[in-house]
Amino acid sequence: MDTVADKQEREGSLNGVGCSRKRKEDARFIQGKGNYTDDIKMPGMLFADMVRSPYAHARIISINTEKALALPGVHAVLTAADLKPLNLHWMPTLAGDVQAVLADEKVHFQYQEVALVVADDRYIAADAIDLVEVEYEELPVLVDPHKAMTAEAPILREDLVGKMEGAHSKREHDNHIFNWQAGEKDATDRVFDAAEVTVSQDMVYHRVHPCPLETCGCVASMDKINGKLTVYLTSQAPHVVRTVVSTLSGLPESSVRIVSPDIGGGFGNKVGIYPAYVASIVASIVLGVPVKWVEDRMENISTTAFARDYHMRGELAADSNGIIKGLRVNVLADHGAFDSCADPSKFPAGFMHICTGSYDIPVAHLNVDGVYTNKAPGGVSYRCSFRVTEAVYVIERTMDVLAQKLGIDKAEIRRRNFVKKEQFPYTTCLGFELDSGDYHTALEKVLDAVDYKGLRREQEEKRANGELMGIGLVTFTEVVGAGPSKSCDILGVGMFDSAEIRVHPTGSVMARMGTITQGQGHQTTYAQIIASELGITSDEIAIEEGDTDTSPYGLGTYGSRSTPVGGAATAVAARKIKAKAKKIAAHLLEVSEDDLEWEVDRFKVKGVPGQEKTMKDIAWAAYNNVPEGMEPGLEAVDYYDPPNFTFPFGAYLCVVDIDKDTGVTDIRRFYALDDCGTRINPMIIDGQIHGGLTEGYAVAMGQEMPYDEEGNLLGNTLMDYFLPTFVETPIWETDYTVTPSPHHPIGAKGVAESPHVGSIPTFTSAMVDAFAHLDVTHMDMPHNAYRVWKQIKALGLLDN
Amino acid sequence: MKVDLNKEFSLPGTSVQAWTFLQDIRGVASCMPGAEITEDLGDGNYKGKVKAKIGPATMAFNGDIIIQNIDAEKRELHMIGKGQDTKGSSSATMDLRAWVEDAEDSKSVLQGVATVTVNGKAASLGGRMMTQVADQMLNQFGKSFANNVASMGEGEEAEMARDKIAEQPGELNGLAFAWSVFVGWLGSIFSSKK
Repeated sequence: MDTVADKQEREGSLNGVGCSRKRKEDARFIQGKGNYTDDIKMPGMLFADMVRSPYAHARIISINTEKALALPGVHAVLTAADLKPLNLHWMPTLAGDVQAVLADEKVHFQYQEVALVVADDRYIAADAIDLVEVEYEELPVLVDPHKAMTAEAPILREDLVGKMEGAHSKREHDNHIFNWQAGEKDATDRVFDAAEVTVSQDMVYHRVHPCPLETCGCVASMDKINGKLTVYLTSQAPHVVRTVVSTLSGLPESSVRIVSPDIGGGFGNKVGIYPAYVASIVASIVLGVPVKWVEDRMENISTTAFARDYHMRGELAADSNGIIKGLRVNVLADHGAFDSCADPSKFPAGFMHICTGSYDIPVAHLNVDGVYTNKAPGGVSYRCSFRVTEAVYVIERTMDVLAQKLGIDKAEIRRRNFVKKEQFPYTTCLGFELDSGDYHTALEKVLDAVDYKGLRREQEEKRANGELMGIGLVTFTEVVGAGPSKSCDILGVGMFDSAEIRVHPTGSVMARMGTITQGQGHQTTYAQIIASELGITSDEIAIEEGDTDTSPYGLGTYGSRSTPVGGAATAVAARKIKAKAKKIAAHLLEVSEDDLEWEVDRFKVKGVPGQEKTMKDIAWAAYNNVPEGMEPGLEAVDYYDPPNFTFPFGAYLCVVDIDKDTGVTDIRRFYALDDCGTRINPMIIDGQIHGGLTEGYAVAMGQEMPYDEEGNLLGNTLMDYFLPTFVETPIWETDYTVTPSPHHPIGAKGVAESPHVGSIPTFTSAMVDAFAHLDVTHMDMPHNAYRVWKQIKALGLLDN
Repeated sequence: MKVDLNKEFSLPGTSVQAWTFLQDIRGVASCMPGAEITEDLGDGNYKGKVKAKIGPATMAFNGDIIIQNIDAEKRELHMIGKGQDTKGSSSATMDLRAWVEDAEDSKSVLQGVATVTVNGKAASLGGRMMTQVADQMLNQFGKSFANNVASMGEGEEAEMARDKIAEQPGELNGLAFAWSVFVGWLGSIFSSKK
């Protein structure tokens, strides 16, 4: 029996790391049997709806709730005045600022929360919000972040006037939030002064919204008999929510239970804590019954966390061969009316300092100023690690501009500047230690696959015929897996994550994690990690997340941190179990531990065929026959504090054909090569990449949140906001290389966000490339047909 | 959402008749379909309301009208209208200067320059049709205004004008209005092509 074939068969039956195990979650989702927040029904449950401001900036003169309260079926109307005695009319944000729960004296952005109506059903609640009479006095509106710090700018945050010591730095203006810098300014300036070549490019990373299919919502239920508050909530970080709710409400953390049920996509939109959650919780505590609040699509796009709105300038200094000597990046960050970004506390601009990219850059300086405007708060990481999308965009765009100026091909200039394979681990001049990489191999593989030279020849011919064809190229490096608690925390809690694994007497497994799946397929992939570590088939491993009463404390799922941190905790916890299992096996086989070797699913006595104990045998023994002095049972918990981030990378290439008369762009080809280290489930990786590329396509080619001068959001319905379907989405070609992370227990790096981060600048690179022969160096997103047509018109390319 | 509008309406009556009518605020308000003055607060301040039905949506705005200035010499009226819809989700402001000029054959011309600002849901949802909607509302206003001026005269034309005023709908006619907005929008597409 002890053959290679047998071993392979046993290995295959585990459905462990590396196999395309079908998603465990899909059985319920494809049958419509998912259990989302809005599916939660509780006896006596009431429904909440929100009165919102039509103005972007106005003083509230009065709020009259009489007519609303008189409507049959209305139970309560909460305003700031009701929350004030509880000191809950303002709440702390994750970024060290405060945010109004219900507008207190002033509204700061259009659709801001003004009053919460609670009624028998959502129809009555919707009727009642029309009856709440709010009298406003309009105030001057600040929309343009470039005007925020001028002398004429209206002061938005009256609560902060005179408080010039901000959460992250001194504030230089009442509308200033923070200044944050990385690198060496003087040294960088000197390099620029002496450089043979410099380039500078301004670019706007426009305001977009993650727009998950499921909007945000909660069901708050205060049980006054046992004093326990249960909140079902669409949260990417339920444990953090529990800590915040406990702190705000004064209830002990043990009396607060947060449950994240099935989540229909998060993409950063569901990390923070929203005013309506707090107001619904208060309503449930006051009324003593469950209260449900679920936002509609307009509320989702208008008020719950947006992403980006970074106004950037990228500058590179180089020699005439294109070898980079220095990088300068300046950012004006529009945070909206409250700073409610969800970044690790010490990083108000997230990991923007990964803007050195995949390149060996000797010196750099990054300067970020955050300002308030009369727009909705947010600034979350939309399918990316904290501000990494912005960082990759600025370096990749500026690299193209440098290549263009020097007349060097954009693949060649990257080749010349890559951090080389033998330089890893490589510490960037802005302080990250890149764990591993092989950028040259990735790039060459892509160029070969698409016949890059052939594409360039074709482009030459098309240009000669007056046709517009563009080739975009990006070689990105992402920083994910936040993060080491020595530098990363949220509200003071280190950004570790956790896993608790219990092996039952019959050898099946129940594992619970501090993360929470929103489509990533944790129930499938965590089980694969445990299967490979413990030799138990993944089909007998149940994964549970999202209930703070049962799962160990964790910081949640965002910033591609589940695999780098939660996955590491899972592997380490499994190894703790395996270490105990080995002791039990030695005891059962009456040998020393040193005489044992592991093979797939069992410990074998070295050199003695047949002398072996499978994990199933050991699990049984763990409950009835353990060595003297050992406690029974077979379980372990691990709180994993990662020693470093992980740095997935990739090389993306895109070919576009642009119709000269209409500006309509055809994405002819998109080739995405990703290296996420060890690949746990190739099918899920492909799915993640398809999803990320599609969202990248959405951002680059159509999504935007335009505001008019009065601060009205023009485009908060799906009629305007671009959500690509199968009809619009291009065909994706995927590829990979494998460069494991040296510090991760199984070498995995995380993948969900790379395709989003990497694809967006690739689209812009391709669009600009179509016009590069006409000296265009940059075009701001979104590259929709109208904007492209305007570019064509400006260049005088229209026939008439 | 801000729109600037410049309008010119030929009037069948003399400039004296037109100027007389322009100073009748209730009369002028009634020319705006769906609008009426509900209260005269004195000193050129009025309360009024506008109701418009466009497709399935009915919007009712309650607001204030303030007569900023009446310049008899220039025959110019400057008024500001401010309103909030009764659901509290939108608001609108209109700053209007209207004056009367002489034209040939004892006729006259009504000139109007207006800035319309819309906030809230009306701006988010209706923003892209805003120019056309405001334009069509003013066209209906212009027709009605002309009828009123004509009715001040004598003879058959004045008689017909008086009939038309009597038949005027109490609020914006949804379907006809939507159609005129659509036609206006089509026109704007083709005219902006070059």
